[in-house]
Amino acid sequence: MSEQTPTIYLVDDDEAMRDSMTWLLEGEGYRVACFSSGESFLHARRDDMRGCLVLDVRMPEMSGLELHEKLDALGSQLPIIFVTGHGDVPMAVGALQRGACDFIEKPFHNEDLLSRIHRALELDSELASRRQRDGAISHRLEQLTQRESEVMQLVVAGKLNKQIADTLNISMKTVEAHRARVMEKMGVRTLAELVKAVMTVK
Amino acid sequence: MVGPGRAAKNQTMFIRPPPSQPKQAWLWLAPYFAIGVFALAMLVVTALLQWREQDTARSALEGDMHWAERTIENRLRAHQDFLAELGREQEFKQLTYESFQVKASRYVEENPEISAIIWVDTDGKVDWVAPNESNATFVGDQLTEMRLAALQEALRTRRPLFSVDYLNAKQQRSHDLILPVQRSSSDIGAFIALQSLETLLRTTLPTIFTARYSLSVVDARNREVYSNSSVKPTDRRISGSINLDLPNNPLGLNIIAYRGGGAWLPFLPAALIVILTLIASGTLVQLRRHAQGRAETEEKLRDAYAFRQAMAQSMVTGLRAIDLNGRITFVNAAFCRMTGFDENELVGIAPPYPYWPAEEFTKLQHNIDLALAGQAPASGFEMRIMRKSGERFDVRLYFSPLIDTHGQQIGWMASMNDITEPKRIRVELERAHERFVTVIDGLDTAVHVAAVDSGEILFANRAFQNIFGFDTVGRDSALVTAACRPAPELLSAQPGDLSADDLPCEIFDGEIQHALSGHWYHLHERAIRWVDGRTVRVQIAADITDKKRIDEVNLQQQKRLEQTSRLITMGEMASSLAHELNQPLSAIANYCAGCIKRMQAGNYRFEDLLAAMQKASDQAERAGKIIRRMRDMVKKSDPNRQPIALEEIVDEARAFADIEAQRTGTQISVELPENLPRIVVDRIMIEQVLLNLVKNAIESMSDVPFERRRLFIRARLADERMLEVAVSDQGHGLAEEDIEKIFAPFYTTKAEGMGIGLAICRSIIEFHQGRLWVEPQREGGTVFRFTVPIEEEHE
Repeated sequence: MSEQTPTIYLVDDDEAMRDSMTWLLEGEGYRVACFSSGESFLHARRDDMRGCLVLDVRMPEMSGLELHEKLDALGSQLPIIFVTGHGDVPMAVGALQRGACDFIEKPFHNEDLLSRIHRALELDSELASRRQRDGAISHRLEQLTQRESEVMQLVVAGKLNKQIADTLNISMKTVEAHRARVMEKMGVRTLAELVKAVMTVK
Repeated sequence: MVGPGRAAKNQTMFIRPPPSQPKQAWLWLAPYFAIGVFALAMLVVTALLQWREQDTARSALEGDMHWAERTIENRLRAHQDFLAELGREQEFKQLTYESFQVKASRYVEENPEISAIIWVDTDGKVDWVAPNESNATFVGDQLTEMRLAALQEALRTRRPLFSVDYLNAKQQRSHDLILPVQRSSSDIGAFIALQSLETLLRTTLPTIFTARYSLSVVDARNREVYSNSSVKPTDRRISGSINLDLPNNPLGLNIIAYRGGGAWLPFLPAALIVILTLIASGTLVQLRRHAQGRAETEEKLRDAYAFRQAMAQSMVTGLRAIDLNGRITFVNAAFCRMTGFDENELVGIAPPYPYWPAEEFTKLQHNIDLALAGQAPASGFEMRIMRKSGERFDVRLYFSPLIDTHGQQIGWMASMNDITEPKRIRVELERAHERFVTVIDGLDTAVHVAAVDSGEILFANRAFQNIFGFDTVGRDSALVTAACRPAPELLSAQPGDLSADDLPCEIFDGEIQHALSGHWYHLHERAIRWVDGRTVRVQIAADITDKKRIDEVNLQQQKRLEQTSRLITMGEMASSLAHELNQPLSAIANYCAGCIKRMQAGNYRFEDLLAAMQKASDQAERAGKIIRRMRDMVKKSDPNRQPIALEEIVDEARAFADIEAQRTGTQISVELPENLPRIVVDRIMIEQVLLNLVKNAIESMSDVPFERRRLFIRARLADERMLEVAVSDQGHGLAEEDIEKIFAPFYTTKAEGMGIGLAICRSIIEFHQGRLWVEPQREGGTVFRFTVPIEEEHE
């Protein structure tokens, strides 16, 4: 399925550009999907899309930057490579500052583009695995009861069992029981591991 | 003390007329009725008299008639007796022929009605005839027919009788008196007297009788056998008849009295009465008509009087009549109103009048003296008088002689107008005029008004006089302004041809140079209706020499700017083109790289490569086109005006603009009518103007919703010389203040604009004798319009 196969999503209003890029990227063995406008991409977008977005900055209707803002608002984490024309550099820099992945100025060398695409795809897969891992920890956190969660927070904050018992107004024994169940449910053996897992998610 | 009497007499002019009498129609009917009754009575009396007269006449007639009857009967009996005597003598043979002759002749002579006495035998044969000389019949004649029958009847009855009437030899109605004679009871013959009826009547009845009566004899069958008059009286009322009982021939005698003096005589009195009645009635009618006319005239007179009275009272002009001594005889309501005095307080007063203010006494006394002497000025006296309340006010008093119906002057009539208000208005008008003149003279624009027909200058302000001289008013405008005057053919309308309905009418608006001073004037000329109704030309000339100079300097500057702008525009264009070139170049690079990669990997299909190379080649061509366009644009050329179709220019400008349009998603619609004439322009310059306008339009729509980003290029024939091109956008439009400044150099509404584009565009268009202007669109957005000259058609 698409979440396994990274795809390069190409958004450009110029038909020749779309066609030639597809030719180039497919030659490199990438999967390519073309969109003639930001709107058509937004229509097709799904949360589990994998790969990267190659976005022309200057487009009628919705410019590349506008699309970027919209995707941000939607929580998309697809890396974006902006393709800019002459004189659009300050604009692209602004986009980078807002967290876009990369930009490339036309006319570009094909190796240049390919390397940036490569990097973007790597970033994407890294992000994807992190999402997966975070998903596992999150899942475990969801298994905790209300009281266990409270105990865990205090443990991670470095409180002693005694302090935890006082704070939550429960007995030391209960604290110890909760703590043991938290370690078990989170699948960690040491306090350090627990702290690391919790921090990752946060 | 003559005064009061005369005053009283004079006052009668103003005394109210007596009220009109109620009309009594029945009064008028009485005379008619009286006349009718009188006429009727007279007619009855006349009729009575007539009737009595007739009665008298009838009794007279009856007396006369009886007398006549007796007379005739006596006569006839005498004849009978005479014949009987003859018969007796014959019977006894005592009568000889001679004695018969003697006796009969004598008898015939005595009685003229008997024409002859004859002796006939029983067969009717005449034996004797007396007198001898009679020619009524002759011896030996045989009686015929009726006479014979009568004879035989007489013989048979043996009694005397009369034969039926016959006409005798003299054509007179006659009959025979037959006396049969027997001797010893046998008939021997008969004596016959031939008697004429007419003569009988004539001799028996006196002349006076026949003159008074019309006699006619009728026989037994009522046939008229004799009449003493051929005239038949028509009136038979007074008549009678007698029966002459003649044996065997009864005759009737009708007597009708002649009416003395003609038939109409009895009617004369009646007719006279009727005629007199009619005359009397006619006179009465005339009299009544006359009286009615009088009444109507009186009514009219009364109305007219009331009307005059009302007029005098309702007039706003005060009226005052004085007699020859200055005594007031009449004042109208307005006069009372003005002065505040009642009528009875004024009438009968001699000067000084109560409304004279003390301080004006001498002057007013002098005025009234002048007026009474008949020397009042025609323009009247302007004086100050006093109301009852003591308030002073200004009046104007006009005097005119008061003439009565006999043509005699009986006093003076004075009309008085309150001129306080008019005086104030006059003063204000004068001030307003003064202000107007001050303003008009204060203008440094020359204004003058000249009559269209005569050319006479009716008005000129100081600025005009400064230019054309101080004695221009009244002179001919054409001569005065000859040095600075639009040629008649330049006027949009010939002022002489304008009718009143066309006014006011613009006839000239343009710039003109004073031929002598060299100054330039903006001349605005209109035809209007002048205060006296004439058509005049109002000309307003503003000196624009300085402005003209500045404009020229500006023009020079703009020419330089234009050069700069061309470069700047090209710079912008280059940037835009560079971007545009990136597209095909990147595509070509991609296609090539793709091919190279595939060939290096040895993993390719020939057809795929071919298609990619083909596409790369297409993109190269696209890039070439862009370059070519840029080269055309950059090609520096001097203004070179050539006839060219507008479509060409629009197409080329559009090709450039499309780059920008595509980038911003603007849709450009070109709507050019068919068969537009060619325009004579420098194509590069106009293209640049068009491109500039299109770019502006695109930019103006950069922040409107996508579907609104539409741009229209339209064209139409503005007139026979110019073509108008319009570029309209649907942007936010221009602010009011921007519309005014937008064409000023270095003014811009754009963040990074230089503000020279539109200024240069305007210079370019004006260089082509065209105009460039902007107007807001009703539905939002702005429309820039410019005009360019079209090719003149040469035959």
